[in-house]
Formats: sequence, structure tokens, C-alpha cells
Amino acid sequence: MFGSFTEDQLQLRELVRDYLRDKSPESEVRRLMATDEGYDPAVWTQMAREVGLQGLAIPEQYGGQGAGWTELGIVLEEMGRALLCAPFFSTVVLAATTLLESGDEEAKQQYLPAIADGSLIATVALTEEDGRWDDSGITVPATHTPDGWTLSGAKHFVLDGLTANLVIVPARTASGISLFAVDPAAAGVTRRPSITLDETRKLAVVEFDTTPARLIGAEGGGGPVLRRVLNFAAVALAAEQTGGAQAALDMSVEYLKTRVQFGQVIGAFQALKHMAADVLIEVESARSAAYYALEAAAQDNDELPVAASLAKAYCSEAFVTAAHQNIQFHGGMGFTWEVPAHLYYKRARSSEVFLGDAFAHREALAQRIGV
Amino acid sequence: MTIEQERATGELADEVRAWLAANWHGTDDADWRRRVVEAGWAAPTWPRDAFGRGLSRADAKTVAAEFAAVGAPGAAVETRAFTALAGNTIVEFGSPELKRDILPKLLSGELTRGCLLYSEPGNGSDLAGLQTRAERDGDVFVVNGQKIWTTGGHEAQFALLLARTNWDVPKHAGISFFIIPMDLPGIEVRPIKQMTGESDFNEVFLTDVRIPAGTLVGELNDGWRVLQTALKEERRTMGFELGARAQGEGGRAPIFTASDDLIEAARAAGKLGDEAVRQNIMRIHSWRLVNDWNAVRAKKEIEAGGGSSLASLGKLANSRILHESWALKFRLIGARGMLYDPADKAAYEVDHQMMWSFINSIGGGTDQIQRNIISERILGLPKGYEPDRGVPFRDVRKGGTARPDGK
Ligand SMILES: Cc1cc2nc3c(=O)[nH]c(=O)nc-3n(C[C@H](O)[C@H](O)[C@H](O)COP(=O)(O)OP(=O)(O)OC[C@H]3O[C@@H](n4cnc5c(N)ncnc54)[C@H](O)[C@@H]3O)c2cc1C
Repeated sequence: MFGSFTEDQLQLRELVRDYLRDKSPESEVRRLMATDEGYDPAVWTQMAREVGLQGLAIPEQYGGQGAGWTELGIVLEEMGRALLCAPFFSTVVLAATTLLESGDEEAKQQYLPAIADGSLIATVALTEEDGRWDDSGITVPATHTPDGWTLSGAKHFVLDGLTANLVIVPARTASGISLFAVDPAAAGVTRRPSITLDETRKLAVVEFDTTPARLIGAEGGGGPVLRRVLNFAAVALAAEQTGGAQAALDMSVEYLKTRVQFGQVIGAFQALKHMAADVLIEVESARSAAYYALEAAAQDNDELPVAASLAKAYCSEAFVTAAHQNIQFHGGMGFTWEVPAHLYYKRARSSEVFLGDAFAHREALAQRIGV
Repeated sequence: MTIEQERATGELADEVRAWLAANWHGTDDADWRRRVVEAGWAAPTWPRDAFGRGLSRADAKTVAAEFAAVGAPGAAVETRAFTALAGNTIVEFGSPELKRDILPKLLSGELTRGCLLYSEPGNGSDLAGLQTRAERDGDVFVVNGQKIWTTGGHEAQFALLLARTNWDVPKHAGISFFIIPMDLPGIEVRPIKQMTGESDFNEVFLTDVRIPAGTLVGELNDGWRVLQTALKEERRTMGFELGARAQGEGGRAPIFTASDDLIEAARAAGKLGDEAVRQNIMRIHSWRLVNDWNAVRAKKEIEAGGGSSLASLGKLANSRILHESWALKFRLIGARGMLYDPADKAAYEVDHQMMWSFINSIGGGTDQIQRNIISERILGLPKGYEPDRGVPFRDVRKGGTARPDGK
């Protein structure tokens, strides 16, 4: 129920927080963000098999534990807090949700158990060069040949596009947008890592040249599936942003209590106290927005599209505010590479535009409440 | 609800129904009100020694529902504005005599119009620096001083009064809290004209006012602690009722309807298609909802048995909601906003409410004071420089009057 958590959910949070404290300390974040792959395969496997995070919200019949969006939201909030470097959002939020929503039983049976046990990294290659998140951004054509479907064209900003062993590609067919599964080892696939602002989140350009692809779900049925996936993903990202915003605030308060200037800790300066109080309101309000949206996602009720856009808009700006002020609170230290404030700032900025920015989502919110 | 809870609710409803069958004869008079109070139905959540029954909020709703079902008034009124504010303070700190004298009158509706004699010309935010004095003289206190910004003072039946009773200790330690009648000799109320053109608040002059010693609430010189309960009630009623916004028209969830007023205003102005206006409305829409949701979370945290730091955020968050909502409506009515003519009711209301929004950001502790409180009590940041800390109040530099001379 919105506003409170069950004993099990509280325990899950503790478990994940402890685990990430151990496996994703700042030193690990910095080590992994400097690699092309951007994750630790041993941790990834352990996370799936011993902690059960990849399969948490995957139904039991496909090898998961059958929990819901509330639980997944708790995990994402903690991952956001720890800036975990791993292909979790791409694999679990984008790809697994797309498969579940596709209605393609065979594809679900083939891929979901592998996602749940950590042996498959997957992603959805949605955006193209113009970076649009809606249907109009999808132009890559799929062609039907006697041997099956092929794809030609390029996808950009593909989350974990370099490491995924399954790329789900929305493309154009005669009947509209359709979803395709592509094995990146197949003929005609080229992958190039992108140089990113947020190095903890890996992006790639993936190009196809008459690459064989397998249709997922009904031909022409991809549009409605993607719209639902984007709603769920917006909620998931809002939860992750909330965790990041809280971490930035915690870091700020810690510094305000220790840095001394003019013979006193800077946290005694009212200008800074008032900034911190305002950040706290934003962080708690972001948390409320994310939790409310997670509840709508868990119930899959008619408030979901509205709550998703509200939460994505709110949490995007709240995280940017918390991360921005965190740097300001730290003064010159905040501008250094050494202090991790910039890591949160970059994650906040990149998450702000990922899946559509606050302006786009507020406009969607207006349309979705009927204005 | 568990089966036991359901059974208990059913038993309570039966008890109320039986009591109503025996006592309610369709006439709402003084005798009826007295019986409702004495039976404990007027304030079901208050303790038994304070005309209550020690029930939960949910049970109180059951009681109220049974009364409503037969059209009987007077049940579960302990959440009404001044009844809650004065009542809860007396319930927590009042002497048995004070409880016996005042609580039944608050609950029966005999005493409804109260006022708060806190702020003074020299002391607003720094309320603990107040300089109105109360000096013991046998079984009365003699009060001298001036209060200001006293909302409703001109029509109040009673007042909650803060006065200094010890000048030789630091400021917080020498204050006492009283509840007094407003018709005592020596109390003079002068209305102050507000920016809105109306006069809701007043100056109150207290000259040799003799108040019975029994009007003291809590211990002598312990008034600052008593005040905290009263302030909590006041802030709670200011824009942050701990509960969700009501459903909109046709049972639609608030997430769809919480800014219907703004959408309507934009539509009326022909600006619903304007991108900047749409962004502005949706931003306010989101602020309203997240503040409600924060309140829901706070309520659940409190119900789960802890306090909730979230409850301290709502009043501050509400300031920008009010100011920005009315400022947007002001811009939407365009040139009409330049007039303040009651003949144009709609435009007058917008101007009026735009100005009234300041009550949230100034009254009951300004936004800046709220930020001090949040940063110190929730985030744990240190207090700033306090020149009056630990200094006997007699030796503290005092504030002058807040109003320019000759006004
Ligand atoms: C409509 C209305 C109704 C009211 N009704 C009542 C009533 O019924 N009874 C009653 O007793 N009072 C009432 N008040 C008074 C109200 O509580 C005070 O106005 C308020 O507490 C501020 O005090 P002040 O006006 O003296 O402003 P000041 O304290 O002089 O403040 C001036 C400015 O300084 C800032 N400031 C002051 N101290 C600090 C600090 N430590 N840190 C940062 N900034 C600071 C304030 O935020 C403000 O911006 C009412 C006020 C209004 C506007």
C-alpha cells in the first residue's frame, strides 16, 4: 500500500543496501566506470544467483521470484544510491519488461530464465540519432525475406549496447512498429561504445546491415508494447533517481557538519542551512512521487501513465537539484575529480534526459490527465 | 481490518446507537450538548479524565457516523480549529480544575472564538523574547504589555496568552502560558488594517489586567514547553492536514483532478494551449500531489508508532504551492488583476487570495524559521550565532517595535 512497506519489503531494502555497500563502494564504481564493459561479471552472477535481484520481479514460471514493481523499485532506489555499475536497468527494466509485455510466449520462455539466472544481458535499442523516445523516432526498417526478417540501420544511445547478448530492436515494417530480437554476434552487427558524460552508465551505437532478426510478438504490435514499457521504465528510473538524490543530500549534510570556515562548521551558516532544508523537501517529495508511481505500476492501474510522467518529471529535477547543490556545498572540492559529487551530478544530468526530460513528461502529464 | 477490530468496531457502534436511542430526542440544546460531552462522545480521542474515551481516530469516526446517521450534532468535535488548539494543550498540561472549567465549554460550542496573544511588536520570529509581563499578586496575576497581529482578537471570547514571569533566567525559561477570557477589564483591542483592506488582525493592549492564577496552563515558567503543543496544532491546520486530498468530481483520483482550478482558469483565459502555462500548471499540480503524498507517508509513519520528520516539511512546501497557484491565476486574468473591485467577484477573489497566501509563509513561523527548524532538527545542522544564549533575559538586547511610529 502507498505510504508504508511490509516487513519483507523493509528487509529486502536492508539486504540490498548491505550488499551494495559491500560490492559497490566508491572504489569499485571508479574502477568499473573506467572500463568499456562497465560491470563486474562475478558480482553480476552472484547478484542473480545468490541475491536473486535480476529475477526478483520476473514471474516464477520464467525462473524468477514473482515479486512486483514495489520490490523492484526498492532495489533500484538502493542501486541509485550506490551508483551501481551494472547492466541492470537495461536487462531487467527495459528488456525483461518488453519481453513480458510482448505477449510472445516462446520469447519469454527462451530469454527470461536466462535473465533471471544472470547468464543473459539484454537491452532495448530504442532511440536513433535524433534521440526521440516516442514512436516517431523509430525509422530503422525491417525487411521480410524468404529466410526471415533482416534489419538495416543504426540505433544510438543504446544502454549497455556493447555488453548485451540480446538486443531488442523496435523497427518499422509494413504494419507499423514491430519488435525484433537480434543476436549481436549475428552477421552485419557493428557496436561502438559511446563516450558518455556519466561513465557509470554505458551507452553504445549499434549498427545493422541486413542483420537477421527474429520477430517478437505480433508484427505491427510494437507501438503499444513500447508505450507500456516506457511507463514502467520511467517509474523505475524515478526510483533510481530518488536513491541518487538521497545519497547526494547525505553527502552534503556530512560535509556541512565537518568543513570549517570563519571559525565554525559551514553547516552553521544559514544560507547553506536553508539550501539544505530546500533540498530535503525535494528529496522527500521525489520519494513520494516515486513510491506513488511504483504503487500504480505494481497494481497496473489506470493511474500508471499519469503517475509515471509525474514521477519522472519530479525525480529528474529533484535529483539534479540535490546533485547540483551538493557540488555547491563542497566549494572547490566539489569541482574535483577526487570527490564523488561529480559522479552523482553526471548521473543526475544523464538520467534527466534519459527516457525524456521533465518538460516532455510534464507535457505528457497534462495530456494524460486530459488537458 | 482484522476480525477482532471489526468486532470491536461493531460493538462500539452498537453502544453509540443504544446511547443515542436513550438520549437523542431531536432537539439540539444546551442540555443535549452537556450530555454528549459528559458521555465522552464530543471528544472520543481525548482521555477519560478529559471528557473523552481514549479511542482511536478511526473509532471516533465510527462514533461520528452513528451520530450523523440519526442527525444528532456534537460528536467528535475535538479536531475543530480552536477546540483542537486550546483543547489539546489543556488536555496535555492543564490542571484538573482547568480541564473541568474549560474543556466542556470548548466541546459544547459555548467557547469557539479564540485568539492567540503571542506575537509582540518587538518579538515575532523570536517569540521567546516576548516582553509582556505577568506578576503574581495573591491569587491573581497582573498582566501588562502589548500584543500584535492577533487574528480574531476583536471577536474572541478567550485567548491563549504568553507572558514573562521571570526576567532573571534565559529567555525560554521565564515564560508562562495562560488561557484567559477576553472581556476582562484592561484589555483593549484595536483592529489593524491589512494589505487586503480588511481587518482580521488586531493590536491588543493589556493594562493591569488581573487574571486568576488558575488560568495558568502547565507549570509556572514552563510556558515554552506548553506552547510547543499549541504550535504543533496550529501548524498542522496550516495547509498540512495529515491525510490525502479528497477525490475529485465523479470519484476521480486526485492525480487527475488536483489542478482542475488552474486548468479551468487557463481555459477561461484562452491559454490552455500555451506551452509555458501548461508547464506552470503541471509543475504546481505535481507540488500539490507530492505534498499530499508526503502527508500520507507522515501519517503512516506516525501511526506505525514513530514520529515523522516529514510532517515538518508540509507547511514550508505549501508556501510555494499557494503563492505560485494564485500568482498564476493572477497572470491568467490579465489586466483585470489591476483592479480590486468587489463588483468583479472572480478577479477580486484572485487578488485577495494572492495576498492572503502570505499568511502561510509568515504566520505560525515564517518560511525562514521553518528552514531553520528543518535544517537543525531533521538534518542535524548546528545552530548559528545566538548572542542571547544563556544570558538572563533582563540583560538581553531587546527588539524595538515592528511598526513605524505615528501609524
Ligand atoms: C495574517 C497573519 C496573522 C497572524 N496572526 C497571529 C495571531 O493570531 N497571533 C499571533 O500571536 N501572531 C500572529 N501573527 C504573527 C506571526 O506569527 C508573525 O508575524 C511571524 O511569526 C513573524 O514575526 P514578525 O512579523 O515579527 O517578523 P520578524 O520576526 O521581524 O521577521 C522579519 C523577517 O526576518 C526573518 N527572520 C527573523 N528571524 C530570523 C532568523 N532567525 N533566521 C532567518 N530569518 C529570520 C523573517 O523570516 C522575516 O523574513 C500573524 C501574522 C500574519 C501575517
